[in-house]
Parts: sequence; C-alpha cells; structure tokens
Amino acid sequence: MVAVKLIPHLLSWAAILLLLLRGFPGRRPTVAAANISGFALGAAATLLLFGSFPGEFTFGIIRGAVGGSFLLLWGASVAAIYRGALRESRSWWGSRFLNAPLAAAGGALAAGMIAGGICASRLSGADGNSVAFLLLALAGAALAGCALAADKWLPKSFTVSPAGLMSAVVALLLFSASYMIRLDIFAPLTMKVMKFTHDFVHQFFESMLIPDHLFILPYLWDYIGLLFGKEVGFWGGLVIWFTPALLVILAIRFERLPSVAHIRQGAERRKLLAAAIRARRFLLLVPLIALVIFAVAVYRSRFPSVEYWDPKPVPVTASAAGEIFIPKSGEIDIEDGKLHKYLYKQGGKEARFFVLMTPEGELTVDLDACAICKPDGYGQAEGTVLCYYCNTLIPLETVGKPGGCNPVPIPFEAKEDGVHVDALTLINTWSSTIQSTSRVKEEGK
Amino acid sequence: MKGLLHRLWAVASSRVLSPVVIGIFLLIYIGIAFVTDETLIALMEFTSRSAALAGLLALLPLNSAARLVLETASHLKRRRSMKGTAAQLPAGLFDETVELPASSSLADLEGRLGSRGYKTRSLEGGVAAWRGVGNFPARALYLAGCFCLFAGILISLTTRTSSRGAIIEGVRLPAPSGQGGMVERIEFAKAPGPILSRHLTLEVAGATPGEGKKSFGLYPPSLYEGAFVYPRYLGVGLHVRFSAPDLPAGYETHSVLAIYPPGKEAAAEIPDSPYQIVFSLAQPEDGSDPYMTGEMVVTFKLLKGKEVVLTGSVPAGGELSRDGYHISFPDTRRLVITDFIRDYGVLLIWAASVMFIVALCIWLPVRLFFPRREMLFASEADALVARSRAEGRVRQHGGVFHEALDLLDAKGHPGSDLPPN
Repeated sequence: MVAVKLIPHLLSWAAILLLLLRGFPGRRPTVAAANISGFALGAAATLLLFGSFPGEFTFGIIRGAVGGSFLLLWGASVAAIYRGALRESRSWWGSRFLNAPLAAAGGALAAGMIAGGICASRLSGADGNSVAFLLLALAGAALAGCALAADKWLPKSFTVSPAGLMSAVVALLLFSASYMIRLDIFAPLTMKVMKFTHDFVHQFFESMLIPDHLFILPYLWDYIGLLFGKEVGFWGGLVIWFTPALLVILAIRFERLPSVAHIRQGAERRKLLAAAIRARRFLLLVPLIALVIFAVAVYRSRFPSVEYWDPKPVPVTASAAGEIFIPKSGEIDIEDGKLHKYLYKQGGKEARFFVLMTPEGELTVDLDACAICKPDGYGQAEGTVLCYYCNTLIPLETVGKPGGCNPVPIPFEAKEDGVHVDALTLINTWSSTIQSTSRVKEEGK
Repeated sequence: MKGLLHRLWAVASSRVLSPVVIGIFLLIYIGIAFVTDETLIALMEFTSRSAALAGLLALLPLNSAARLVLETASHLKRRRSMKGTAAQLPAGLFDETVELPASSSLADLEGRLGSRGYKTRSLEGGVAAWRGVGNFPARALYLAGCFCLFAGILISLTTRTSSRGAIIEGVRLPAPSGQGGMVERIEFAKAPGPILSRHLTLEVAGATPGEGKKSFGLYPPSLYEGAFVYPRYLGVGLHVRFSAPDLPAGYETHSVLAIYPPGKEAAAEIPDSPYQIVFSLAQPEDGSDPYMTGEMVVTFKLLKGKEVVLTGSVPAGGELSRDGYHISFPDTRRLVITDFIRDYGVLLIWAASVMFIVALCIWLPVRLFFPRREMLFASEADALVARSRAEGRVRQHGGVFHEALDLLDAKGHPGSDLPPN
C-alpha cells in the first residue's frame, strides 16, 4: 500500500533528475550526484523531523520549501520575459550564474531535497519507518537508474532552457505535493487571493473615494460583488499558478532570432533562421509539458482522493438554565479524536457546532463556521479539518484557536461527565459570525 | 563624482528596477501574510510609517520618470538620425546594424524600398526609409501614467489624513478647520445615470459673510478647505426625550444614528441607567424612501438589561406613552456621516487612469495595423552602415532589409547577380 502511495512522488523525482541532466548537459555527473544525494538527505531529514516534531511543524517546512520554489520560478519567469524584451543583447549576469558549477549542483541538490522531503512525508503515518525508508531507497535507486538510462536514449536535440527547466522542476514538485492535502499549496493560495482581492477592492474604493454600495446601482454592485466570492480566489489562483509557465513559454516564443543581416546568401540566411526556429520549438516542449503538469496539480488539489469525515449534526437542546450538555461517553465518544457535530435550535434561530479532541488531548468546542467564509462547515481528514467553502486545511493542532479560516471557538466548561456550553452565547456567536461573513460576501464593503 | 552620478542614473533608469522593487514588496507581503490575515492593510501601514519602505516605493515613480527621459532622448535622436541631422548615433537605437563596403551604391535603393510600401528620404550620403506610425506617444503616456500612479500611491500612503463628522441639516459643517458654514439642505433623490442609483447634494452656506454658498455631491468628491468631502453613510439626527417609572426625571439627548436604509438598527445607551434604546427607520407601506420624502417614522425598542420593555413606532415630532414609559422625538433631521480626507495622491491616480486608457487606445491599433518600421543607410568613415528597427511585423521587415542589403552588396560588386525584386 505504501509502495502504491509513493509511485507519483518517485516518478516526479525521476522526471526531475532526467530534466536536470538535460538542462546541464556539460555537468551531468555533478548534477546527478547532487540530486540523488539531495533526495536521500531530504527524505532522511524529513523522517527525522517527523520523529522529533510530529504534527504540523514538518509539514510547514516542506510546504514552505515547495512554496519558495514556486516563488523562485515566478522571479525566473519574469526575468526571462524581461530579458527577451530587451533590445540590447547584453550578457546577462543570471546566465553566468546559472552556468556556474556550484549553481547547477546547488539547484539539483535543493530540488532533490524537496522531492525527498515530499516522498518521506507520505511515509510519516506508516508504521515501521525503517522498512518504509528501505523501500523508498530501493525504489528511488531503481528510478534514478532509469532516469540516467533514459537520458542516454533521448535525442541530443531535446534540450531545455534554464527557465523551461525550472518551470518543469517546480511543476513536478507541486504535482508531487498535490498528492498530500497537507502539502498542497493551491488551496491556500486561492484563499489568500480571495482575501487579497477583497482587501484590495475595499482599499481601492476607500482610497479613490468611491461612494458606498448605498449609492450605486444594484446591478453594478452585483458585478462588483463577484469580486468577493470564492470564485475569484479560484480564478485568481489559477492566474498566479499558470502565469510563470506561460511567461516562460512567451519568453522562448518571442526570443529574438539571431541576426543574419551580415550574410549575403538568401538561402544561407533562411537556413540559419529555420534552424533557430526549430531549436526554439524544441525548447518550448518542456514548458508546455510543465503547463500540463501544473494543470494536473490543480485538479489533484480541487478533487483530492480523500474521504472527509463529516458526521450529520446531532440535534441538542438546552436545559432550563440555558445550558447545553454533551456527555463524554454514550452513543458518541467525544474523546475519540473525531469531529462530532451538533445542531442547537432556539426559536427561529439555529447554530451548528462541533466538539473535537485535539491531538494534544484537549477538548475544543467550535462553531461549524469560520469568521471569513460562508458557513459551509468543516470536514475532517488526516491531521486536519477542511473548510468546505474555501478548501483551506486547518491542522488539528490549531483547532480551538481563533483567527483566519479556523473554526470560531466557543467558551465551554469541560467536566468529568461531559462538556457544558451556554446556549445564549452559542446562538449569539453564531449569529454575529454569520452576519459578518454574509456582509463580507454579499455586500463586500 | 561624475562616475557615481552616471551609475546612479544607470540604476534609476534601468528596466530592471521596477520589477525588482515590486518583487521586494511582494516578498514583504508574503512575509506579513504569515503573521496576520489583514496583510494588505498591514503592508500599507508599514509603508506609511517606515521611511525605508517609503523610499523603496519612491524608486518606482523615479524609475518611470527616468525611463521617460531616457526613452524620449532616444526617440529624438532616432528622429534626427532619420532626418540626417544627427551628429553621432549611439548604440542601441536600432535593432540591427550591418557594415557594407564603402563601394556599395545606394542607387535604385529608394525605388526598391518605395515599391515595398516604404517612404524614403535622400540624405547626404545615405537613405532613410520608414513605414507605419511610431508608438512612442503611447509609450510616453504609459510611462507618465506609471509615474503618476506610483507617485499618487506614495503621496496617498504617506500624507493622507482623514477626519469623520456628521453633516446635519441646520447645523454648522464639521469642517477640518473647526466650524464650516451652515448646512442648509441635504437632498437625496433617485439618479437616472448608469452608475449611481442616488443623488446626494449637500448645500452649505458660506462660513464667512463674503463666502458664497457651496454644494457637495457624491462623485467626483468636492473639495472643502483642501479636503475631499466623502459621504459615507446616511442617518438621522434624533432629538429624544425619555422617562421611565424608575427614571422620573427623564433623559434628553440629541443622537446621531446611522439608521439608513429602513430596518438598519442603531442603539443609544441611557447613561447611569439599565436602559438602552434600539432605533430604526420604518419602511413606509407605499414603498417610498423616508430619507427622500422626509416623512420619517422611527421604530424603537426599549431594553432594560436584556429584557424588552417597550416597542413602538413614532413619527417625527410625535410621542408615545405606555406603562409609565414616555418617549418622544421632538426633532428629526437628515444627516450624512462624512469623511474629510486630505489626500492629493488621489488626483495623480485619477490622472494615471486617464493616461493608461489613452495610451491603450493609441497603442493597440498602431501595434496591430501600422507598426513603425525603419531603415537607415548612411556612409560613415570608409563603410556604408545599414541600420534597421521594427516595432512590429519584424520578420517581414527583416526580409525587406536583407533584400536591400543584398541589392547594395551586388551593386558594390559589379560581377555578382542582382537578387530578384
């Protein structure tokens, strides 16, 4: 089972190795050694970290590394398009840096470490880490051999530009990360874009002294309101996700052809230009593949093969003193580490909440809603709860803490027999949370 | 010193400067995002308070201005070279430069280029040829727009001041300086336009005897004492008299209540008592707008602690007594909660928006249908130097340029064949 789980990660890494060998044809041995040792180092370090700091910490480091590589790709793609747009064909310091042996080895090592870290994260929950690590090492060695063999088989004309190489390596890392919901960065990205768009529009209206929605025609405000929906997060996220690869493609496509004005034979000129155009087409191949891999990573993020634990809310009532009591044991064991949802109705109002035992062994009572999104509720997956509205993952360790997309915590009293919640506080907190989130989503300002 | 200035100019006018600065701000934004959810607001706060960040932001308008100067100078030099009046041509003005033997003849060249749609001009020892329209005006407008935009953002972030006040009918305007003129009328009416649904007009008498009457609208915002008048919310100024069985002395207050549109609630605490009154405007049955018509009925809810002890609706000027409670509204006035904002960066940002729109309107058709293409053949020292440049249709233009070079080369070597036209 573990072996099946590792397949996409190992294949991604093997593809990264192959691409690096193509990208640095003059430094094959150095790059191969750096990448393979980086993979082993990354995997070992991750397993050690999981052993020392179980929980979100290690996932955070790897997610940060994957996100950092994506940021670097952004920088590289902007540099590529800028360089292509410059009329002067100056020697670019970046190309000198990329051609340095240290840079090639360093890049290969970093890519290997991140790939190894992602692979090892997959093993974090598996029993008997030594066996799993051995399996990982064997499979990795076999695939590295395959990559080295494939490099010899591929035609020499199949070359990769530095920016194209980077786009493909980062795409493969993101693809590999998208197989684990706790390492996926597309969903958090969409959330951040949604928040940024909301804040930007709000600040723009304020800064440009544009009248409030009260004075604007409803149809127009409906259009502006689109900017506050979760779709903006998704589409904006897509733009940020695909733009670097597209910029790399554009930079290659619109790279200036070599000057042939000094050649006086028309046939010779045409031959040279045709060769340059052909080479350019080959260079486009890798970033185009990267674009497809980016798309697959988005698909994995949107439709993860994870089943969420989402129990039907159990109706509860309050005592005459206005207290809701949830027993610790009985039909439902609230200390089993699972999310247990409840529904409380009072007059025309109702509130949905859940009780959860966190990995630290503390009970927490929270609304089945956050302070930002529409109250679509939460589902539970391995080590996290997920906001159904914006797909943000909340590590179980942080459930019970307020802020961001975390479920809104409710004051409660944990006694020997169970959990006691004040019904009025619950209803008021639910009402004020829902009111503020619906104002954000529907009115915007 | 000269070398240092030269380097500073090179940095200030570099094409790379703006993306680098924007990249740094992006990294700061990402860093802040780890700490707070209000990332954009926090970044704006930091930039307005930190001289280093403001200085970094100032590099953006500086870079736009420097690019504008540099590109204008290059454009003028290129124009002079095409007229044959330039003394020297610096490198980088054209895309391609080729040297041919001095023996190459320019005869027939003008005819050949003319037949390809190029306009030509004979120069002293050379030929200039061109077609299409230059995109420099659009580029200059774009750079000027960038300058205005970033300068506007910088000014706005670092100098903006804001004060909020309630503009109430029959009361002096709470102007930034202290007391403004008397608010004579607040008019709220339906607007037929494509954007605004309502007109809001605030008529204010002069603050001093010689000063004329002023009228403020919604958009664009009017200036008063150097500050923009930015109406935010509508409300009602309510004169409330209240007494209760355990508060026989009663209580009287003038409340500023943001209770528009009808149904929106605002609360007023009765000091030193357990009472709180929650007000809202009643929606008239005929569907009219009470703020527009001035016929306001105030709905109230009197709470003692958490318990509702009295509810009712009272028209402006009316009263209600029940169970020992008495409430009356002797005076009801329209009011507008307004921000007075001193921010001249807004003007620059508006100017930038206009420049970007005009630049796009010029750039798009020119780039698509009439891109500028230029060639310059000039005798220099003991060689004929050919230069070429294109803003669009580069390969087509390149083909014509290469043919022209072949023609010149063939003329320079009488034995060789002329290329086909």
